[in-house]
Amino acid sequence: MTGQILPGARSDGSAWSVGAVGGAVAPGCGSSGGVRCVGGGVGGIGASPVRPDGALKVRGEFAFSSDLWADDMLWGATLRSPHPSATIRGIDVGAALAVPGVYAVLTADDVPGDRHYGLEVADQPVLAVDEVCYRGEPVAIVAADHPETARRAAERIVVDYGVREPVTDPEVALAGGRLVRHVPIRKGDPAAVAEVVVTGEYRVGMQDQAFLGPESGLAVPAPDGGVELYVATQWLHADQRQVAAALGLPVELVRLSLAGVGGAFGAREDLSMQVHASLLALRTGRPVKMVYGREESFVGHVHRHPAILRYEHGATRDGELVYVRARILLDGGAYTSTTPAVVANAASLGVGPYRVPNVTVDAYGVHTNNPPCGAMRGFGAVQACFGYESQMDRLAEAVGLDPVEVRVRNALAEGGSMPTGQVVEGPAPVARLLELVRDRPAPPPVGDDPRQLPGGVANTTAPEQVVRGVGYAIGIKNVCFSEGFDDHATARVRLELIGGEPTALVHTAAAEVGQGLVTVQAQIARTELGVERVVVATADTSVGSAGSSSASRQTYMTGGAVRAACRAVRAALLARLAGGSGAGADDGGVADDGGAVGDGGVVGDGGTVGDGGGRVAGGGLELAGGVIRDAAGRTLGTLVDLLAAGPVERSVRWRHRPTRPLDPVTGQGDAHVQYAFAAHRATVDVDPELGLVRVVEIATAQDVGRAINPQAVLGQIQGGTAQGLGLALMEELQVVDGVIRNPSFTDYLIPTILDVPPMAVDVLELADPHAPYGLRGVGEPPTISATPAIVAAIRAATGLPLARVPVRPEHLTGTG
Amino acid sequence: MRIDCVVNGEPRRADDVWAGESLLHVLRERLGLPGAKNACEQGECGSCTVYLDGKPVCACLVPAGQARGREVVTVEGLGDGDLHPVQRAFIAAGAVQCGFCTPGLIVAVHDLLARTPSPAEEEIREALAGNLCRCTGYEKILTAVRLAAGREHES
Amino acid sequence: MRPFDYTAAQSVSQALAGGGAGTAYLAGGTTLVDLMKLEVMTPRQVVDINRLPLRGVSADRDGLHVGALERMSDVAGHPLVTGGYPVLAQALLRSASPQLRNMASIGGNLLQRVRCGYFRDTSTGCNKRRPGSGCPAVDGENRGHAILGTSDSCVATHPSDLAVALVALDARVRLVGRGGTRDVRLADFYLLPGDTPEREHDLRPGELVTRVTVPALAWATRSAYLKIRDRQSYEFALASAAVALDLRGGVVRDVRVAVGGVGTRPWRLPAVEEALRGRAARPEVFEAAAALAVEAARPLTHNGFKTTLLRRTIVRALTNLVG
Repeated sequence: MTGQILPGARSDGSAWSVGAVGGAVAPGCGSSGGVRCVGGGVGGIGASPVRPDGALKVRGEFAFSSDLWADDMLWGATLRSPHPSATIRGIDVGAALAVPGVYAVLTADDVPGDRHYGLEVADQPVLAVDEVCYRGEPVAIVAADHPETARRAAERIVVDYGVREPVTDPEVALAGGRLVRHVPIRKGDPAAVAEVVVTGEYRVGMQDQAFLGPESGLAVPAPDGGVELYVATQWLHADQRQVAAALGLPVELVRLSLAGVGGAFGAREDLSMQVHASLLALRTGRPVKMVYGREESFVGHVHRHPAILRYEHGATRDGELVYVRARILLDGGAYTSTTPAVVANAASLGVGPYRVPNVTVDAYGVHTNNPPCGAMRGFGAVQACFGYESQMDRLAEAVGLDPVEVRVRNALAEGGSMPTGQVVEGPAPVARLLELVRDRPAPPPVGDDPRQLPGGVANTTAPEQVVRGVGYAIGIKNVCFSEGFDDHATARVRLELIGGEPTALVHTAAAEVGQGLVTVQAQIARTELGVERVVVATADTSVGSAGSSSASRQTYMTGGAVRAACRAVRAALLARLAGGSGAGADDGGVADDGGAVGDGGVVGDGGTVGDGGGRVAGGGLELAGGVIRDAAGRTLGTLVDLLAAGPVERSVRWRHRPTRPLDPVTGQGDAHVQYAFAAHRATVDVDPELGLVRVVEIATAQDVGRAINPQAVLGQIQGGTAQGLGLALMEELQVVDGVIRNPSFTDYLIPTILDVPPMAVDVLELADPHAPYGLRGVGEPPTISATPAIVAAIRAATGLPLARVPVRPEHLTGTG
Repeated sequence: MRIDCVVNGEPRRADDVWAGESLLHVLRERLGLPGAKNACEQGECGSCTVYLDGKPVCACLVPAGQARGREVVTVEGLGDGDLHPVQRAFIAAGAVQCGFCTPGLIVAVHDLLARTPSPAEEEIREALAGNLCRCTGYEKILTAVRLAAGREHES
Repeated sequence: MRPFDYTAAQSVSQALAGGGAGTAYLAGGTTLVDLMKLEVMTPRQVVDINRLPLRGVSADRDGLHVGALERMSDVAGHPLVTGGYPVLAQALLRSASPQLRNMASIGGNLLQRVRCGYFRDTSTGCNKRRPGSGCPAVDGENRGHAILGTSDSCVATHPSDLAVALVALDARVRLVGRGGTRDVRLADFYLLPGDTPEREHDLRPGELVTRVTVPALAWATRSAYLKIRDRQSYEFALASAAVALDLRGGVVRDVRVAVGGVGTRPWRLPAVEEALRGRAARPEVFEAAAALAVEAARPLTHNGFKTTLLRRTIVRALTNLVG
């Protein structure tokens, strides 16, 4: 394949895979689960060292945000609007204040600073001011000495609402001008014609991130008038900025520490209880803990945008795409959140990883009084993929090609251009990923064990009542933030002797949400500094922002920052080696490292890549195992000696190369940092009589550029695929007249272990020349194409058009 | 009210417990054992799974009063100082991502392997059907169970 | 959760003495604690009855007896049940989750409340929870609701799988109260909602369910419980069927059919049984009989699919039993 191969990278652009059934434990590299290590030293890049927080988590001793405790602490509770739309004529808190054990009852009038917050637009009230725009919107907060007291007191608050008719239909909202953003894409000829035309309208229901750890945290008032906030979040500094603004405090007085995060998937990017707990803590002078219940959690965070997608694909009789026209409508709910970014993703990725000469896409995000929607794994790309992949199957049928062939024929490749005009740089193995899943041996036919049939343990189905179907899909996702956003991550790395042993301390504000970021940071430090012992400090705001744990960006950005800081440490060590006396050992400032140096280490640091060797800048020196050697292998110095003069510490703020905005009329622009691709093949057994579906196997092929931690890469692929399966078969928030009617795990169904089949995974490592170590973001792609692959398989088994997800039994049996 | 029970082998007492508190709340907020988790508190996710008189239950639906005089074992009590083979298997297999489901799963797996030392694939899935995980897609959890079964089988 | 007093009864008589309006009996807690947290149920007194001697699974001439405090998991695995009445074991194992089955009692399972989202949401009206306050489900979110036995006042489905299997087997419950002991046919024990959906059972205030008896039925060894749901496990039924078949030489000598997930109470189908008795065990016979099940069905806006699904579920259950 083409693509720049970096020195030190694996030159065969290799693939590795994990089988589906009975994944045997493979030896080597201290890992298990059928993973073949791809190189790297003990615990360095490419290995799968055990995660540093694993022991605490299995013991139940890991401190999640809901496990925090402080002496003297109070509990907070939130009063929320029962109406999707209403004015607030008055709030009477008297009865609540009178409840014994209550220490504070606060409303919007008690917000000392900015009364509105938001990630992109500050339009969301900390506490409702004179109206409420969605059911569940926070109106007042209470602090009391027992959570039940706080809750009961909140119920005693009397709010005089002027109920209004809510706007709940996004089409009505669009027609009424309640537009958040419109992103048009215009490429080529808007009036292009084609011999074969297929159209379709598709719908994606409202999915929820459904992380297990409830929104929670602890706010502790500080002697300096500020507040220390321990919270589960995806972006400490965005929280800090918004909390400080709401509290009317300088940012330095609002100090955040990351408490243990029980999953995120986008739902923790927006604020939940951060300002509320801080307000109560500052008012009462006592620590305040807030923990949402599950029902409250469902209204307490943003959801995936439900979507209506209309597509028209025009192609030649040979199945080559001539044009794609699409109209995508996303219901953003009551407040802006990250709707602008979701709309841009849906638009710019809206035709999929295909070569299309003529593209006309209009993507809209609108305001309604439905629950607010925002970031969820794959945001915008998930919805679009269901649309365009459903279309590709219709096209295949129309031109008489098989579904993989029609995709391969139109596959994007390196050097191809997106509908936005951006050229895809670096490997884009669209065709190869499809071929990998296609060529996997098919899973064995259904056997006699009833538990392996649709309906499973419910013993509904015999083998002869089953129809098998196979479906394919491929998706594309942008990695990192886009459209010219100045995204950066900061890392502070300190190398010193502790107990006589060189030890690296890595400190970033990057939110570990379960993905294994703490492990990756340590691996990078091990490889770059040639040390074994690495401590990753708790993420907090005493170090610069790492940006959000979202958009599959953290290994790229925080990994890039850690690498850059390590290289700065190496350079300082080199200076000591060359005779520097140790001056400058503690560089208090943060060096900016952006652009060229950030690109996979190709330029500016002596041509090293830092792959499994940690070569020191300049002259082919090597730092490994605590020893510096020259190219001939002679020892020039040891870390123990060099660090005897004191620690070396460097901080670097690292940026990816810049992106550009999308032109507001044509949608043209180099808006994305990186593209990532994954393909799926789903095999389902359907009982068409009873409408039951069992996914027999789901195979994924994904290019991850460089697997920093193979075991964690698999974990992301498997977990993302399961979330895509959930959207395909069972996950939907039922919103009726603006009210979520199923805010519980009884009725909002996520897959159990009986729903998720064995998963086969093929991983490609085709280096991205612009990314640290050549890596590609991993977390989102597997969720994107899993959904349409499963639906395609059900269509193959039943012949039904199935234009909506999730697919329910009645869609297969008939609604009559 | 006062609740006296045995937790992880030790007699424990909680005073001033409200009648409406669950065993989960008592363990987490009064007895300093936050291992069992509060993902839903409605018996719909299994994150609060603990042993009650030797049977895995959802602690969130056990009223505090019902725990009087009973024996409770939480994830914190499985290791006996060291890590239990099930716990070691979860780490080695990469079955821990965010970790919120982990304590409940470890108790459920511990129970499964105590009853069925070499469970078949479908038996494992059925036994763990009451434990939701949102991060892993369950694959590595299954690997962990096989790993633990293998180790336990050896010893 | 509202404040309440918790006491534990040491004997049946003590439990009965403590019973009455405002008191709830606590067994496994999986229904009561859940609904108390939602404040759907707000007893001022909770009497824990777990120490009462209402355990045991035994069989005699009269049939199979199961103590009301037996746990679902223990009953599901009991050899008398798995050997003699597989439909009961299957119904139990297809309910809930392993943890919940370890906690929940047989009596509690039979007395569990409906899963209707409006019933469980105290911010809405609900005739069952607050008589006279209306039924939002009739015109609202009703995909999971009933097509049989509904009224203008209530359309909620009865959620117990075990109850469906027991009703198919003509089970009886023993009730003990201050006025004495009585046995009631389980099918009669459950009430239709009519105008009084708040009255779900023929259970007088202060009465306790002490045991369930399934009349001896030798051919119940050929029985099964089939459950259709939205995911593979840990979910209530969209439709279900409990079937027992006395099959000789390809002819249905006798049969029991009851269905769940579709009725406001477990729904025995005597007309379907009648249409099967003495007939050949063939698909067209099953289909003609199953069609009778939905003759009286009244679908709602979102659950019309249950009509088709129910017919097919019955046919499949019978077909699978014939094997």
